Amino acid sequence: MAPPTTYTPPPLPTPFNNTHPAPTLLTQGAEARLYKTTHLTPTTPAALKVRPSKPYRHPILDRRLTRQRILQEARCLAKLVREGVPVPALLALDWEGQGAGNAHGGESGIGGAWLLMEWIDGLVVRVVLERWERLVRAEGRISGVEEERVRDFMRRIGNSVGALHRAGVVHGDLTTSNLILRPASPGTAEAEEEDGRVDMDGEVVLIDFGLAAQSAQDEDRAVDLYVLERAFGSTHPHTEQFFEEVLKGYRESFKAAATALKRLEDVRMRGRKRSMIG
Amino acid sequence: MIAIGLEGSANKLGVGIMLHPNDGSTPQVLANIRHTYVSPPGEGFLPKDTARHHRSWVVKLVRKALKEARLSVQDVDCICYTKGPGMGAPLQSVAVAARMLSLLWGKELVGVNHCVGHIEMGRLITGSTNPVVLYVSGGNTQVIAYSSQRYRIFGETLDIAVGNCLDRFARTLHISNDPAPGYNIEQLAKKGTQLVELPYTVKGMDCSFSGILAAIDGLAATYGLGGKEEEIATPPVTTPAVDATGENGNGSITTKPTRADLCFSLQETIFSMLVETTERAMAHVGSTEVLIVGGVGCNERLQEMMGIMARDRGGSVHATDERFCIDNGIMIAQAGLLAYKTGFRTPLKESTCTQRFRTDDVFVKWRD
Amino acid sequence: MSALETISIPHLPSSMPVHVALYRDVKNAPFLRQQLISGNADFEYALIDASMVLSRTHLLTAVFRAANDYLNGRLKSRNIHSEIVFSFSPTNNIADSFRKFGIADSTTDLLLVKVSVTPEITHDSVAAHLNQSIEGTPAPFDNETLSGISDVSKIKKVYKLGALGSSNPKKAAGVVHDEMKQLELSVIGAIALRGAT
Repeated sequence: MAPPTTYTPPPLPTPFNNTHPAPTLLTQGAEARLYKTTHLTPTTPAALKVRPSKPYRHPILDRRLTRQRILQEARCLAKLVREGVPVPALLALDWEGQGAGNAHGGESGIGGAWLLMEWIDGLVVRVVLERWERLVRAEGRISGVEEERVRDFMRRIGNSVGALHRAGVVHGDLTTSNLILRPASPGTAEAEEEDGRVDMDGEVVLIDFGLAAQSAQDEDRAVDLYVLERAFGSTHPHTEQFFEEVLKGYRESFKAAATALKRLEDVRMRGRKRSMIG
Repeated sequence: MIAIGLEGSANKLGVGIMLHPNDGSTPQVLANIRHTYVSPPGEGFLPKDTARHHRSWVVKLVRKALKEARLSVQDVDCICYTKGPGMGAPLQSVAVAARMLSLLWGKELVGVNHCVGHIEMGRLITGSTNPVVLYVSGGNTQVIAYSSQRYRIFGETLDIAVGNCLDRFARTLHISNDPAPGYNIEQLAKKGTQLVELPYTVKGMDCSFSGILAAIDGLAATYGLGGKEEEIATPPVTTPAVDATGENGNGSITTKPTRADLCFSLQETIFSMLVETTERAMAHVGSTEVLIVGGVGCNERLQEMMGIMARDRGGSVHATDERFCIDNGIMIAQAGLLAYKTGFRTPLKESTCTQRFRTDDVFVKWRD
Repeated sequence: MSALETISIPHLPSSMPVHVALYRDVKNAPFLRQQLISGNADFEYALIDASMVLSRTHLLTAVFRAANDYLNGRLKSRNIHSEIVFSFSPTNNIADSFRKFGIADSTTDLLLVKVSVTPEITHDSVAAHLNQSIEGTPAPFDNETLSGISDVSKIKKVYKLGALGSSNPKKAAGVVHDEMKQLELSVIGAIALRGAT
């Protein structure tokens, strides 16, 4: 087949066509594009998520789905902020996108719904663990101090997931790429490794609620945990042995955690998703 | 090397003969014959009737295939048959036929996974090397990508297959099953203009279709559109918006939908779900190519929608026509021969069949 | 002396700066409110009771929401300035939003917002008009001043955030510690989601 031509992402919806400097594209998933930009002041960083309309589907269905999903994500974020769960706060939102009632017109297929979120500083947990595993491999052993540090870090991951579930929300795509370690003091994230130690202090913030839903069912909670467990298995072979600490941190974070953990055993047994991850 | 392939996991009985030239040049289809058991409108095909159909046709089809390929029995290297997944009784009748030929001719057996057959045939015909595969038929709905010796299932239906959803709605409308219910729905959908709101159930890369079927069956009943067409009076009356999902959406209908509108809406909804989950898998594995296989893959609207999605990702869609999309014997011969060449054999005492046989259970030794 | 601040908000067209002024000890609130009611075009401002405003971010969030709806041709009220007052509201009731966030006869701390939706609206034109119309003491539009004005318990009540923070698990569970920050972010979320069905 012909190689793809140089890809140019579609233009940004209003009002971001006014933005100077233009938002920087960070990632492009199947559903959404994520940009870094600012909000309200030129020095306040923010994350912009755009859900472009999908020209393959019927315009009525497209509007319905785009709107439903951006709202679902926004509602989850707003709720979690109210409950004090560490997630990026919802700052602004447009579920219509460019389209109905837009005085400025605009071609179909351009634009889409968007939401602006608080910018979370720090490294994704996947990178923190990769750095830590590299260090451990280089040294050939895990010292008692290092083991306690990583165990504590894992418990804090469990605490954050527990806080999420406690608030009645399930994530839907819980991997170590969707967790950010927000350093206790800003600006320390990048300058790690040099002193031969990987910083694991700080708060574990949950991100990307694109597949999240409001649910308090043990099954949904258990699937969240199972997906996270599988992600550790496939991505962090040296850290997997400490995953029990994640579950420990989870257990101590809310009362109904016990039944969700019980359900996790069933989900593991079923293993329906066994071949799907990685 | 030459393989004969026998397929009968559903209502199609297929016999195909595939040649893989020893010089490594492009494989050739020497014969590809099919006979379909067609049930009357409003009815599905039952396992025992389908099995009887396969039993009474299999010898005729094998003879015809050999004749068409201008081959004698001695030229054949192995006998490939569908081990599963599929309907028990039809699978069994074809497995018995394969065993009988194996003993009669003294040729070795190769049991083939039906889904892998579709994938390998699609790859061969389209030349697509490493696509994300959407496998959609009356019995299966899977989003598949290859990784280290397995066709891994990234997403699948959580209840009924997409083709089953279409077939059963065709029954509700008493649409003919000849040549296929899905084909007739597709033709009717072309006349549809109005989108009625239906549930849309995607969970990550998985889909669910049973709720949609219940909703559209309900709409057909509400508007008196079920049953035979000639019995239905269709004056365009304005009725209050009916909302199948109980949601308040912009898509609510304002005038009474027609049978065509329902077919159109069903297709638009379920195909959007398929394209969405396929796109998610493509993003996940970083692929830009899609291959659609299985009977529903013949649908031109599905191909069109998939094409738009793939184009927007800087890639392309590959699909085959009804000769290869719909169940056939040649795909079993193709996948079987690939395995046979790596030394794979199915001993007689293991030449069983199974209704459940996951795509990712097959060790794909013939790929890197 | 005028305390009028002119702000360029990212994402809004550069031709659309926002002018904000904060006045304390306002003496002529009934007069100003009357101009609003009678539809006097000279007094087309967003007139906000500053006790209902937590911070600069709170105000700018409402302005941004109104401006985006304006740019997309989706105003629910008469103009962008009435829409700013409405945009503070967590509910869809416009009259109610004016009662809760808009100027009242008893208002003494007043925030005024004017957006340059036409080229004639400039910093100088707005400053001049405010100087002759507002009987009050100009104050800087900053968080320090606002924190001395805002009625936090009333704001919590209007946004139905009374229970905020009380149900937090222990700090080890990684919760937001700064209660005011959490309140502000919760309010912003409510503004963003207003009207979502």
